[in-house]
Amino acid sequence: MSKAKAQQPAVIHKVIMVGSGGVGKSALTLQFMYDEFVEDYEPTKADSYRKKVVLDGEEVQIDILDTAGQEDYAAIRDNYFRSGEGFLCVFSITEQESFQATAEFREQILRVKNDDNIPFLLVGNKADLEDKRQVTQDEAHQRALSWNVAYVETSAKTRANVDKVFYDLMREIRSRKMRASQQNNGQKKKKKTNKRKCVIL
Amino acid sequence: MVPQPLVTGVSPKEGPPGTRITIRGENLGRDLKDLIGLKICGVDCLLSAEWKSSSKIIARTGSGKGKGDIIVSTKSGGTGSCTVGFRGFFVQIGPLQESAVWIDETQTVLNQLGRRGNTSPLAAKDDDDPLGISDEGNKQKSEEEMLELFPECSGNMSLENFSPAWYLLENHQTASFDDLKHGLTNMRRSARTRSEGPIAFVKTNIGAILDCLDSLDTMYEKFSEDDIQRECISSYAVSLMQAKSCADGLFQDVLGRKDKADATRNALNVLQRFKFLFYLPLNIERNIQKGDYNLVINDYVRARSLFADTQVKVFQKVYKEVESRVHAFREMLHDKLMKLPNTLEDQKKLIKYLNHLECKGDPAWECIQNQQQWLYSLLTECKTHHINEPDEPVINQRNSINGAQIHYTRGSRTSGYFGEAGWKFRTPQKVLFVEELTEIMTNNFPDFWKLGHAYMSGNLTMKEEGKNVKSDQTNIFKQMVSSTIKYFSNIVRAAFLPKSLENLAEDKLKELGIWPDSQQEISGAWLPHCVRYVRSCASSLCGLDLPSDSQELIHELAFDMRTNCMFTMLKQAINDVRSLHTKETWVVELDDEFGGTTQLPALFENIVNEAIQHLHEVVVQNRTGEREIFGHRTVQKEATSLCTKLLEAFAPCLEQLAFSKTEQVATSPVQLRYSQDKNTNRDQEDLIPTKDKKLIIMLSNCNHTKQHIIPRLVENLNKYGYVETNKVMQASQDTYNKLDEKLFEAYIEEKSDPIVGTMEPNMYRGHFDWRHCRQPNDVRNYLKEVIMAMIEVHAEVHSISPAFICRVMVKIVDAVVEELSRLIQCVPEFGTNGILQARLEILCLQHTIEIYKSENTITSFKEALEHLPDAAQSDKRKMEELMNKFRTQMKFQLMCFTSDTSTA
Ligand SMILES: Nc1nc2c(ncn2[C@@H]2O[C@H](COP(=O)(O)OP(=O)(O)O)[C@@H](O)[C@H]2O)c(=O)[nH]1
Ligand SMILES: [Mg+2]
Repeated sequence: MSKAKAQQPAVIHKVIMVGSGGVGKSALTLQFMYDEFVEDYEPTKADSYRKKVVLDGEEVQIDILDTAGQEDYAAIRDNYFRSGEGFLCVFSITEQESFQATAEFREQILRVKNDDNIPFLLVGNKADLEDKRQVTQDEAHQRALSWNVAYVETSAKTRANVDKVFYDLMREIRSRKMRASQQNNGQKKKKKTNKRKCVIL
Repeated sequence: MVPQPLVTGVSPKEGPPGTRITIRGENLGRDLKDLIGLKICGVDCLLSAEWKSSSKIIARTGSGKGKGDIIVSTKSGGTGSCTVGFRGFFVQIGPLQESAVWIDETQTVLNQLGRRGNTSPLAAKDDDDPLGISDEGNKQKSEEEMLELFPECSGNMSLENFSPAWYLLENHQTASFDDLKHGLTNMRRSARTRSEGPIAFVKTNIGAILDCLDSLDTMYEKFSEDDIQRECISSYAVSLMQAKSCADGLFQDVLGRKDKADATRNALNVLQRFKFLFYLPLNIERNIQKGDYNLVINDYVRARSLFADTQVKVFQKVYKEVESRVHAFREMLHDKLMKLPNTLEDQKKLIKYLNHLECKGDPAWECIQNQQQWLYSLLTECKTHHINEPDEPVINQRNSINGAQIHYTRGSRTSGYFGEAGWKFRTPQKVLFVEELTEIMTNNFPDFWKLGHAYMSGNLTMKEEGKNVKSDQTNIFKQMVSSTIKYFSNIVRAAFLPKSLENLAEDKLKELGIWPDSQQEISGAWLPHCVRYVRSCASSLCGLDLPSDSQELIHELAFDMRTNCMFTMLKQAINDVRSLHTKETWVVELDDEFGGTTQLPALFENIVNEAIQHLHEVVVQNRTGEREIFGHRTVQKEATSLCTKLLEAFAPCLEQLAFSKTEQVATSPVQLRYSQDKNTNRDQEDLIPTKDKKLIIMLSNCNHTKQHIIPRLVENLNKYGYVETNKVMQASQDTYNKLDEKLFEAYIEEKSDPIVGTMEPNMYRGHFDWRHCRQPNDVRNYLKEVIMAMIEVHAEVHSISPAFICRVMVKIVDAVVEELSRLIQCVPEFGTNGILQARLEILCLQHTIEIYKSENTITSFKEALEHLPDAAQSDKRKMEELMNKFRTQMKFQLMCFTSDTSTA
């Protein structure tokens, strides 16, 4: 077992699915993971998935935490958010409230992560249900723009854009990590200077 | 080998023991059986595993604690690995915490309140860093240094003289400014939550607060015990009360909710527990519809034991409903039980059901009574139906009689076969009646008896009562059985043996049915058929081990039917034999052994043999358990006398034919029919024999009958068990002997009369005179004519029956010689030539009839010769010559008297 684990790539990108209940977070995850579409709705608590993928020629692991997206779990949620490196903030284009809720999620994430540039994608799911659309592409784009993030419409049912959102997010995480490590180096230097300053203080 | 199993997904990823989790991945087994192992956090969970597909398994977690792996093992892929794990934990949710799942509070709340000491808010806060930033590079200043820097201050947050600067220096000396800024926002946030109100505070610290209250309480008690300073205590007590009421108010909402929840849960529990009862009325109805009566009864019995005495209003109401449905059910079963026909099995089942349902009364007994009445009515209906059936063809209707409900499985099909023999064009009503009646009995009575039997042996009552089936019921049942059998037997008797019911009163007879006269007589040919039905019915009934009196009744019926049939058939045979004379064709068939007979004796033998044979098959032959038909003395006698009559019946027939007038015979249809036969070469006249010929033919027939047929028939009778056959033999032999004599006498008379009658005139023809006649030169013509006449008789007899020649010729010769002797003796005087002539004729006759001589002829010749005077010696030579001449002349004629075919 340990051997099997050893075979897995060392790089892990941790993705967290957020969004109101019923918008298709689990559906997107399962479609991405196992190419299957789940018709029946079963509320999620917190599911964990991890598999090997090839990201731009590099073998990495994607770790997906699928959350409940419900207020009951608010306390726990903060904990989860802390561990996330990137977020897919999902709403259903057929449900206006779920779109409104994305603002709260965004706020919570920023609060916990304390990072305005955290890898983040606004995902409008259930794009196959065009006739029931309640959220226009325009308003979604507007919001994404205001947050300085990308907006993608998906369908867990038809698999449209499913891979895209996960891979796009992983790319963001990867580049973000690279930047962070550079920054970290810089910070360390900075820290040292701070320290000195402190001593001076 | 298939790649190893790999778990890549788990939903949810954490939870308390027993969490239902969905495990996803690759190669999780080809099928259910391929999955041979599942470990979650090191605990084997294979038992709970539900294999869904090779990428999905659903299972329940075990008692594993902490984060651990999920390892799937398959036969095909071996032990696998995982990229995700599961974290097991033990939830303990506070009494006021919101929770998405149902928590059994009986355990946790008490426990939590018990060990609440740990959750003291101050103690908790001690470990926590209010800024939420971890320490790095701990270079702590000493306490003294701090005191130097911040006099009168402290780094302890719980103290009044707390100095934040001291705290920061002490704990976060190396933290960056940014970190500190973060820490500040973090602290503000937690302050915000805390400031959300006292309730939030109480909620999070419920344990500690309860602790305080408790200790205050005990303190108060202690104080009141010690009775220290009243006012002090009272104010203390007041604030304590206030705190309590405040607390109560605080919890009122929650407690109220809890009470409501408890009440709801109780109601749900009751519903669940007593779901059975509430659904019962519906279920009863449904199961009745499905015919699942056992289930209904089981449910009902269970409900009764649980709720019959319930005090609860709702239950009473529902139970009442159940009772009313069961009541209807009972009624329905009862009706079903009373509805006939029904199979024994069904009846037993229904009775069992009714007993289980504690039906009032005794359903089994009612069923028995009902069935008896039904059986009775079936028999009555059958009887009246057939008696009233108009005398017209019904063959096509009969299967619809009484409907198909009563199982007519066999019988009645055989009825047709007499029709095809040309006996009758339709089955007589009585035959149809007995077929149907016996069928009713054989099909329905056994079940009735078996039901009664089962009841008597206690199989159809509830176990406790089973033993005391009252003895008078047993008796009543026996009476029911025997009266049914008796009724059956009597209505059969009324149809076939009305005489055996003569002792019954008029009204009783009417009850049993009086058959119209048109139906009264049925052909004897039908009787064996009827007997067969009655007998097979009897034997099937007697196989039931009925009480002896009933068995007796049946046996008697069968026996009487048999004897009646036998007698009727014998009588019929007698009648047939008696009318045989119309069948005479007068065609004589010669047989070397028996001489010539017509076909009549053979017909006679056939009729008798057929009757005997037929009787043997259907009547005489005994079945097991039946009475010996010849064991009965009166039957025996009657049978013997009828057999005798049968064998004798042919004699009058022969006699009638022998003495019948020729014209009558000639016009008989049999004659005409016979003459149409192309194979016959004879002329019409040849077929109508003369009187004397008829006599000799009948004589031959009679003889043949007597000597061959009667012994054979008697032997047959013997073989088939008829008794006293020697008597039959004797009597019939006597009869035929008498007839033989009579016929013989008549024939001889018929033959000898003309011969003898013409002798005298012929002798004296041409005025012959014994005194003056010429010297004889030949035997005179009259004698030759006599001889020719005798030859004619000889020939006639020979042509019919050579066996009679001797007997007949002796008689004829006798008469001729006697006449000749009388004539000679009447001659008053002979001339010499006359003497010679007479002697010549006597001697020639003597010579001629040598082989037919008898005592009589010898004396007659002697007397005649004595009357003649002696002839001269010289004439003797002449005599010799003339005799030789006679012999040569009459050589061919005389051969009749020499070639002896008659010695037998
Ligand atoms: N038509 C359609 N239905 C979807 C789509 N995604 C999810 N659903 C359905 O929406 C319901 C909720 O999905 P689920 O993934 O459980 O939502 P979650 O609560 O966000 O995890 C399920 O019945 C899904 O089948 C989609 O793209 N198109
Ligand atoms: Mg979900």
